[in-house]
Amino acid sequence: MADITSDLKADTTSPAQWSRSKWASVLLLVAVVLTTLRYGGLLPDSLHRIPEAMIPPFAAWLDVFFNFVKDDLGLLTLTRTLTEGLEWLLDITANLMFGKRRWPFIGPIPWTAVAGVAAVVGYHLGGWRMALLGAGTFIWTALIGQWTIAMETMSVLMVAAPLAFFIGLGLGILAWKYAAVNRAIKPILSVLQTLPFFTYLLPAVIFFKVGPTAGAVATTIYAIPPMILMTTLGLQKVPSEVVEAGNMSGCTKWQLLRHVYLPSARTEILVGVNQVIMLCLAMVVLTAFIGMPGLGAKLLAMMGSFKLGRSFEIGVTIVLLAVTLDRMSKAWVVRQPVHFERGTPWWRKHIVLLMCIGVFVFFCIAAQFVQVFAEIGRKQNFSQGKEIDTLIKGFLALDPVQNTTQAIRYVLNVWILNPFRDFLLSIPTPAFILLVVAFALSLGGGRPAIYAAIFFGLVALSGWWDRSVITLYSVISAVTLALLIGVPLGITAARSEKWSQRVLLACDTAQTFPSFIYLIPAIMLFGITATSVVMSILIFAMVPLTRYTIEGLRTVPPEMTEAADMAGATRMQKLMKVQLPLALPTMAVGFNQAIMFAFFMVIIAAFIGTQDLGQELQRTLAGTDLGKNFVLGICVSLMALTFDLTIMKWATERKKALGLPD
Amino acid sequence: MTAETVISCKNAWKIFGADPKKYLRSMPAGLSFDDIRADGYIAGVKDVSIDVTRGEMLVIMGLSGSGKSTLVRCFSRLHDITGGTITVEGQDLMSLSEKELIELRRNKMGMVFQSFGLLPHRTVLENVAFPLEMRGQDKHARRERALEVVKLVGLEGREEYFPRELSGGQQQRVGIARSLAIEPDIWFLDEPFSALDPLIRREMQDEFLRLQGMLGKTIVFITHDFDEALRLADRIAIMKDGAVEQCDTPDQIVLNPATEYVRKFTEEIDKARVVRAGVLAQGQVMGEGEPVEASASVQDLARLLVQDARAVIPVAQSSKVIGGMDRAAALEILLEAS
Amino acid sequence: MNKFTTALTAGVLAFAPMTLLAEDSSDPIVIPVHNWSSQIVMSHVVGQIFESMGNNVEFVTTDSQAVYESVRLGDVTLEMEVWEGAFGASFRAALEKGGLHDAGDHDAVTREDWWYPMWTKDACPGLPSWEALNECAAVFATAETGDKGRYLDGPVDWLKHGQERVEALGMDFVVVNAGSAAALWAEIGAAEADKRPVVVFNWTPNFAEAVWPGEFVEFPEWVDGCDKDPAVGPNPDALYDCGNPADGYLKKAAWDGMKDKWPGAYDVLTKISFTNPQIAEMARLVDVEELEPEEAAAEWLEANPDVWQGWTS
Repeated sequence: MADITSDLKADTTSPAQWSRSKWASVLLLVAVVLTTLRYGGLLPDSLHRIPEAMIPPFAAWLDVFFNFVKDDLGLLTLTRTLTEGLEWLLDITANLMFGKRRWPFIGPIPWTAVAGVAAVVGYHLGGWRMALLGAGTFIWTALIGQWTIAMETMSVLMVAAPLAFFIGLGLGILAWKYAAVNRAIKPILSVLQTLPFFTYLLPAVIFFKVGPTAGAVATTIYAIPPMILMTTLGLQKVPSEVVEAGNMSGCTKWQLLRHVYLPSARTEILVGVNQVIMLCLAMVVLTAFIGMPGLGAKLLAMMGSFKLGRSFEIGVTIVLLAVTLDRMSKAWVVRQPVHFERGTPWWRKHIVLLMCIGVFVFFCIAAQFVQVFAEIGRKQNFSQGKEIDTLIKGFLALDPVQNTTQAIRYVLNVWILNPFRDFLLSIPTPAFILLVVAFALSLGGGRPAIYAAIFFGLVALSGWWDRSVITLYSVISAVTLALLIGVPLGITAARSEKWSQRVLLACDTAQTFPSFIYLIPAIMLFGITATSVVMSILIFAMVPLTRYTIEGLRTVPPEMTEAADMAGATRMQKLMKVQLPLALPTMAVGFNQAIMFAFFMVIIAAFIGTQDLGQELQRTLAGTDLGKNFVLGICVSLMALTFDLTIMKWATERKKALGLPD
Repeated sequence: MTAETVISCKNAWKIFGADPKKYLRSMPAGLSFDDIRADGYIAGVKDVSIDVTRGEMLVIMGLSGSGKSTLVRCFSRLHDITGGTITVEGQDLMSLSEKELIELRRNKMGMVFQSFGLLPHRTVLENVAFPLEMRGQDKHARRERALEVVKLVGLEGREEYFPRELSGGQQQRVGIARSLAIEPDIWFLDEPFSALDPLIRREMQDEFLRLQGMLGKTIVFITHDFDEALRLADRIAIMKDGAVEQCDTPDQIVLNPATEYVRKFTEEIDKARVVRAGVLAQGQVMGEGEPVEASASVQDLARLLVQDARAVIPVAQSSKVIGGMDRAAALEILLEAS
Repeated sequence: MNKFTTALTAGVLAFAPMTLLAEDSSDPIVIPVHNWSSQIVMSHVVGQIFESMGNNVEFVTTDSQAVYESVRLGDVTLEMEVWEGAFGASFRAALEKGGLHDAGDHDAVTREDWWYPMWTKDACPGLPSWEALNECAAVFATAETGDKGRYLDGPVDWLKHGQERVEALGMDFVVVNAGSAAALWAEIGAAEADKRPVVVFNWTPNFAEAVWPGEFVEFPEWVDGCDKDPAVGPNPDALYDCGNPADGYLKKAAWDGMKDKWPGAYDVLTKISFTNPQIAEMARLVDVEELEPEEAAAEWLEANPDVWQGWTS
């Protein structure tokens, strides 16, 4: 009998699905019971929070381990030796870009020469518009009086980005070639991608000396993961016939890799390069905490002396640099080789190179005679810092602005955020874990649920439970708000191509704009409160939600919407019954990214003033507390990974079920 | 046959799966393709024995998934065979070291691929010169040779183009030129014209016959198109489920299909176009009067067969009568076709 | 200007001091700069003094707490501003581990405490007395604090014990910790717009004095042991029941190896001493005049030769 009924059920809904939701409800029920007991005062304290005495001293253990590796195994000696090599490279670029007094003693290159070369390369890659963008970025930087600091930044990126490229490429090749390496690298990459950047920074300082070297190392490590992934992907996608053709041409293994695989994976590898560049730029401000000179350090100094206008200008420079490098590298990705007719003279074939050299030499010589071509001093520049200050302050002082923000602040803080935080904190630890497991189970199934249990269990054992819950609370609040704003925005924008493009451009800009700059206006509008924290995360978390909503809706196969039209669906029906369900898996990817971004930003929000993991992490930066720093970082990573695994599992399953491509 | 054997394939097996070697050892004889699949393995090549002689053009044909591409990849050791032996010019392929294998490919073998397998970042000339570059020929010499081959396949003037800038037919010409650059003795062609439009395909086949007329290489040609096979082949091997069903001359395959599968395969074929007078010539009765050419197909002789009153028509090869053709039998073939 | 010639000369010069001048090493003296203007300018002032003596100098941006570890290891050579209140603990910790030492005090004194901008006095005229402040606590109330006043303390890791003081003195205030100095300025900046009364953590010397005139709240005067012995101070049962010392030290710190490697520069370092007005002037050049730190340092040196030339001779 029992067999028959379950068989019947299998016909309507899949049995796995059914039992999943059943189990999830059971877990939910237990959690509710535990919480109720707690409220009734019936739950013993030891079940509410893990007693201090039972918390293993992870940080101390890690410290012992780190010290062993650092001193006894001689890792520090090794890294300090590497540091010297790195420093040598950094000195060369530093000399060239901003004239640091080091070998080869020929810099700094005049700003006009850099701008000129950027224009030529831009023209080669994308015509006049790109030339204008390339030259314009550097001219802006010089005129606004940020040339030297921008070049300090560039001199480090010029070392960090190629390093990340080569290491990523190498590891990518190994991961593609040896399944064992791949298996080993995958989980490390996942953790790396969710680990808060502060956790990279401290070891970087300890092992690679404070200053540009540590900055370069932290930047490199941060930028490696996508390069590995793209390399592996690209190599896997090389058509088998091309490989066989290589084999039949008598390639040795090395020749095959060098002449067949790598060139054929060009597109993916270049996409990897693009991502490396973008991630390097994303680290410009963060690495300033460990002594990376340049735009980031200046931005922090400006913020520390309340110069909104100058901070804003630095932000614009970073965005411009990011947009320029992004556009140029993307143009390079899609650029296909074009042949020259036979008999084309040598100079014609290398016209771009020759032009670059020509422009470069011209401006280098010109700079000897015309001082402004070489550099623009502080008093000659066009910075409008003070004017922007007045503008921002004036805007914030407007009565309507004040009243609106006061109202929002009051409602959000007093009625929503603070009660929500207190509620989350009032849930007993076991009940909280059960809730998360139930969520993972109902959405992702057994495996994510097990991970959720292990991961959150570890967080509970770390001894930082309350701070973890507060971190999570900020993330949940911000992402919920981002959903409420970002998704409708995406849906509206997706209606027309023009608006999609505009909103996507806004998303790009919002994402590259250094997140720190959001903090000050947020504080000025909403005070040092939870609202500011949530608002600054919100801006960041909305970007992927909006982007993927637009993308999801616009990639719904046209036959489907046409079929809906022919079935006489209204616009609303079409949206609710056809487009949204089909776009949902893609939107889930956006949702997942929003959560990841929120976990990233919540750490930065510690600069407003929070009581979460970010605050503790920030505090460890000042010391040498590697163990504690690592434990805190892993707590953030584990929570982020739980959501990542669950949501991505759901999205993949859902896509498969709907027969959509990945 | 006195001709020298170039490729000799004896009881070759290629099985895909978790541990094919072990499976093959423990496998009872006489298992069918489906039996093997039920065990979780795929028999890509199933107990194939076949010889290719010098200067011969062997066409391997079959539907997709029949194992023809796998077999040719075993000949070139792009796949390692699971069992049996394959020797090329007397060398046992599986016993070659990697270095020897590379030497063999660099000097003796050329291969053309269905989707061309060109390197997208190299120009026509660089693609063609690629095998020469791999074997370390100096820049000047390989450029000379590449230009020569590019001219041979009729791509003169396109040397500096990138594959992306060429039509499908032109791309395959590059593929052919590349495979010929090292002057291989053995030439593998894996469905070289399948990806092309019918008109271009026809043109390329003519081109191919012209080249083969000049070069006289030992060729293993793969196709799923019977017409193509009939146009080109000295011998045809028909494959199904990894095994060779029949390997014979086109006439014999059409006239005497060895298995039901082959018969079905050849059913739709216009036999009058395939069967040549030489095959129908019987030794005993020579017949009288004007002989017909042995290489003429029944279709070519249609008018004569209908109008001529002789019962037996003499058949001549290089002006020497080799036998007599029974007119009734020939008519039968002609009529059956229409 | 001929860049290449300059570069060449610089290259030659880099090796020249070794033979020409004293016995100072030609390796660059590494001076750390942090993220507040007075320290950056002062570091550049000192750097330019060293350069005028023929030394090579380099600046690195570092965290103001982590810097002591770097000085200890010799990664950076010295530190110009060691604040008693803010960095005393990190400095002492590094001192115990060894590798760096105290290179003397500035004349300047430092003070860190509760502070309010001048406009606050309009709403609470009894200031700067702390009792008066407590009486108008309601004036400082925000949406989140109900009818209690809000005091904005420095970041938790600065360990300013605002919470303890509120409890010890029984004040009607809620303590909220800002996450960074920038957050403090943002709050004052926002309050400035509608002249809202605020009381926040602040310190001197600091650029904020030039931007927003204000005063420190006068708490019961600091007595030694106030932070260790409950009996000290007005509340016999609590620690932290007095204000912070009004004259904290401002030290210089040096890497132990500096004395041997750059004896000339080290000698000057120990003599250097700035006063509060001098430091305020340096900060003003950057914060108000908006000069770049290097230019501000050059300008200051030019304007005050009598101050510094004594140190080098």
